[in-house]
Amino acid sequence: MAQLPQIDSLRRPNAAASAASKPRRFPWLHLPLAIVITLLVGYGLIIVYSAVRADGDYQYSRQLGGVAVGLVFMILVWRFDYRRLSDYTTLFLIINVVLIMSPHIPGLGTDAGMGARSWIKLGMQIQPGEFAKITVILMDAAVMARYGGNLDDPREYVKALGIMMVPFLCIMTQPDLGTGLVYLCIAAFALVMGGANTKYLLITLGLFVAAVVAVFAIDEVIKSSTGEYKLLKQYQRNRLLVFMDQSGTATTDEGYNLQQAKVAIGSGGLFGKGLFQGTQHSLGLLPEAPTDFIFCVLAEELGFLGALVLLGLYIALVLISFRIARSSGDLFGMVIVMCVVGMWLFQILENIGMDCGLMPITGIPLPFMSYGSSFMVVNFVMLGMIGSVWSHNATLKQH
Amino acid sequence: MFAAIVAGFVALLVVAAILVAVYAVLRSRKTENVSVKRDVRSIQSVGVSSSLPDSHRVPAGGVARGGTPAQPVANPGDNLKSRFTAVGVVAGLIFGTLATKLFSMQVLAGESFKKESEDNQYTTVYTPAPRGYILDADGNVIVKNRTSLTVLAEPDVANDHDVVARLSTVLGVPTGIVRKRIADATSGAQSQRVVASDASMRNVAFIAEHADAFPGITVQTRTVRDYPHGALAAHAVGYTGSVTSDDIASVAEGRDLELGDSVGRSGIEQMYDNLLAGDHGERKVMADAQGNVVEVVSETQPVKGSDVHTTLKSHVQYVADKALADMICPDGGAIGSGKGTGGAVVVMDVTDGSIVALSSYPTFTPTTFVGGITQDELDLLQSSAAFSPLLNRAIQGTYPAASTYKTFTGLAALENGMATATETWDCSGSWDGFGSGDVQKCWKKQGHGTLDFRGGIVNSCDTVYYDIGYKFWDAAANKGKSVTLLQDFLKRYRLDQTTGIDLNGETSGRIPTPEWKQEYFRDTPEDAQWKGGDYTNMCIGQGYVLVTPMEIAVAYGAIASGNIVKPHLLKEVRNAGGDVALTYQPQVLDTPDVSMADLAVVRNALRGVTTDNEEIAKLFNDQGIDPDTVACKTGTAEYTDMEDTAWFACYAPYDDPKYVLACVVEHGGGGSSVAAPIGAQVMAAALSSTNASDGEVGDIAGSSGKSEAGAGKGTSSGRSD
Repeated sequence: MAQLPQIDSLRRPNAAASAASKPRRFPWLHLPLAIVITLLVGYGLIIVYSAVRADGDYQYSRQLGGVAVGLVFMILVWRFDYRRLSDYTTLFLIINVVLIMSPHIPGLGTDAGMGARSWIKLGMQIQPGEFAKITVILMDAAVMARYGGNLDDPREYVKALGIMMVPFLCIMTQPDLGTGLVYLCIAAFALVMGGANTKYLLITLGLFVAAVVAVFAIDEVIKSSTGEYKLLKQYQRNRLLVFMDQSGTATTDEGYNLQQAKVAIGSGGLFGKGLFQGTQHSLGLLPEAPTDFIFCVLAEELGFLGALVLLGLYIALVLISFRIARSSGDLFGMVIVMCVVGMWLFQILENIGMDCGLMPITGIPLPFMSYGSSFMVVNFVMLGMIGSVWSHNATLKQH
Repeated sequence: MFAAIVAGFVALLVVAAILVAVYAVLRSRKTENVSVKRDVRSIQSVGVSSSLPDSHRVPAGGVARGGTPAQPVANPGDNLKSRFTAVGVVAGLIFGTLATKLFSMQVLAGESFKKESEDNQYTTVYTPAPRGYILDADGNVIVKNRTSLTVLAEPDVANDHDVVARLSTVLGVPTGIVRKRIADATSGAQSQRVVASDASMRNVAFIAEHADAFPGITVQTRTVRDYPHGALAAHAVGYTGSVTSDDIASVAEGRDLELGDSVGRSGIEQMYDNLLAGDHGERKVMADAQGNVVEVVSETQPVKGSDVHTTLKSHVQYVADKALADMICPDGGAIGSGKGTGGAVVVMDVTDGSIVALSSYPTFTPTTFVGGITQDELDLLQSSAAFSPLLNRAIQGTYPAASTYKTFTGLAALENGMATATETWDCSGSWDGFGSGDVQKCWKKQGHGTLDFRGGIVNSCDTVYYDIGYKFWDAAANKGKSVTLLQDFLKRYRLDQTTGIDLNGETSGRIPTPEWKQEYFRDTPEDAQWKGGDYTNMCIGQGYVLVTPMEIAVAYGAIASGNIVKPHLLKEVRNAGGDVALTYQPQVLDTPDVSMADLAVVRNALRGVTTDNEEIAKLFNDQGIDPDTVACKTGTAEYTDMEDTAWFACYAPYDDPKYVLACVVEHGGGGSSVAAPIGAQVMAAALSSTNASDGEVGDIAGSSGKSEAGAGKGTSSGRSD
């Protein structure tokens, strides 16, 4: 097991002193995290209630169920010693490939009428790509843990990078660019926090930018010969165009969505229209309000203040996770926590950013806020992983 | 702005409070965490020594770094600490950017977004206001309203075979016609198309119950025009049409037009559209994205338009409409079955210009336009094959004035000393005053013998007027008088000007002048020369002379009363509460400067036309009117290959003129035999209406649009005036 270097002798006296002065009744309970999560989930449940209230397509009970199941999973994961998983890189790789490719299995997979083959039917529709985020994080962290915080060998770097790219390539067969970007973001955080050589990281970034440019260039070439774009789908182009030209009139669906999202946020003003008083979503002007555009509902009903409260809760969550990561003393655990933090940061930036026109529109939900039970369960599992890292290092400390 | 900044500050305080709270809780656990902190610090400070316990903790299996055991522990802490900082900065930037953007959208630009959001929510639905009624001078209704269940379809339904088939079955209209009606774009490309007006409750209920099977089909209860007497006064009242996007684009100030409204397209409906239109009801509603009404925010009821009381008298109008129809299309048959191809009657009150009857034939039923007219129907109403039923011949038809002109050319001669009341003429049936050998003939081939001025008018002797024409020519050619002496006099009676009646589309007649002829024949200069024959032709109302029946009525009114009045259809306007909002003020446009003596000579001669012509005297006697109380003039305009056009103009009572009448029957034949009977009948109705306001008012049918081959063709059946 790879760990950050620790010196027990320096810590012991303090630990002993504190343990003696203030015994903890629930040693596994991380109170600040519990408070922040309770507030965040509660906040989310209220806003989702407001969003699904007027919409028969969504069932609030499913969201509550997601939270309940998520809590159970969180506690299980929390109690589980994550360190036992650090050696199973290959296993995670296999699980990832199977999970992400499962919608392609005939009879099992479905596109749920949405274009991308991202769902499987197991009694209910679930998105395995969503659950794979967990194993992707574990896999990436396990890969990096093997290098002890110092990945300088170019061959090893390419190997690690190669393994981390597998989930992304798999998800692009569905295709689901949004989730793919999340995988890339997780990989980036794993590489950065796992101590990959700065030079390699910059080269990788450069190559990545070049690849994106190349995709557009090749697409243009394809269009000039076949007359249509093949690599990027039309809706993806529309989203980019809408993002580039924000003042433009909303002639496409994407432009309409963005415009209505901005109106919802902007019209909330400072104090909002009042809880359950939002008009944009209740009148059906804001499509996908409970999922992708949940933040608009919050911003419309509770205004700038309500949005700041949410951002504050997220900042608190990130800060606590940072602390746990830094104090874990274990490279595997630290990378896991930082990958989760990175994933959340990316989703927060993308989701809120797209609502207010800072980012292109993608279907990325907002952690602990958006409607969706699998997404909720996944986030709770992530929390459990953070808790596991914290508690198992704390347990270590106490011995 | 200040409030916004304060509020933003408060918001930041709230966030700070949350963070402080979290920090406080974290601090309370410091006793444990402090050691952890030390750990990190120790990692940084202790460096190499830390690798020792680390390396022997490494389990045997999962180590890939075995080959390079020394490097990773060189100083990984420093390395990773800077990366923690970097991630922290990134996170800070993300939250900072989002908060700034949200501040700018919600606090700085919040108001404009609020407005957009309200625009999103609220829609104003306009309810069309019922149009005001159109009534006659005595308050009898000519045009009113009724409700109609109208089945409407979106234009693209025409391509949906299933829906078209279902509509056809339910409404009992053949599929081809349903599709044609939906495809008909006369009411505007985007507008809903009328599939059926006046649908039965049963059919409408069926469509409503099976809404899923009828996508794009809606049913509206519309207030539509109702015409209790059919085509009665159709040209005067006009018709309405559905508003088009062009109308909305060019809407006049003060008129509020919304799609779905009716707008006046001709006649009084068009002229007084503003008054008739009323005020829309407004329903401000909150609607969802699908357009469903969620909540009615405010509602004002539509206000019915004002009622327009016209100067028309229903009974006189009915008699005029019926007399024309009976003459031209007896028994409702095709044009050509009676006499003439069209006609017009105008009856005006000479004292104030009130139009008592305004009739034009062929006519149309304004009901045709209710709920939208099809292109085919519209084409028929405008076609020359049907003799253009939409044309209002009373104000738009221009005809050679024929002998009705002699009243004015005669008066011109008296006024200019070209003739006197006592002068006599010898009529031999032909005249060659110019000595050119080009003989002009009087209508009476055998000649009238010796005639005085009165006799010239009573017998409508052309020879007398050829001579008068010659005198005007002679005065200009040899006596230094103006070439347009005659024309200048005729202009006093405004025979080349529109009368200014309150109807759109009025045309004006023509008084030919040398200047006009020059311009008219500029491409064939050999014809452009003003000749003596132009005077003689003008004096008998032929040649290039053109007048409208309305001009003749007004001009004869000026003979009768001495004043040229402005004809008008508007009597008064009453608002929805029944109060008079506007009363028409009669206007005397001019009093032609002519001597009373000359006028008396002409008036006396016109009475002679009634009393001294047996045929005409009989017509009035038959109507129970003493011919002695009527002054009149007939006219027969000749055409080269067509039957003559008949004219009749009269006023009565002779001593105290009240009504003036002009009647024309296009290609109907002689004035006294075709136009005079209609005129006598209508004048009798008008005179009796002064005492009794109610007379029979029956239904008038629109013309069928049919005509017999050769209607109006042929040659003159022989003039007698």
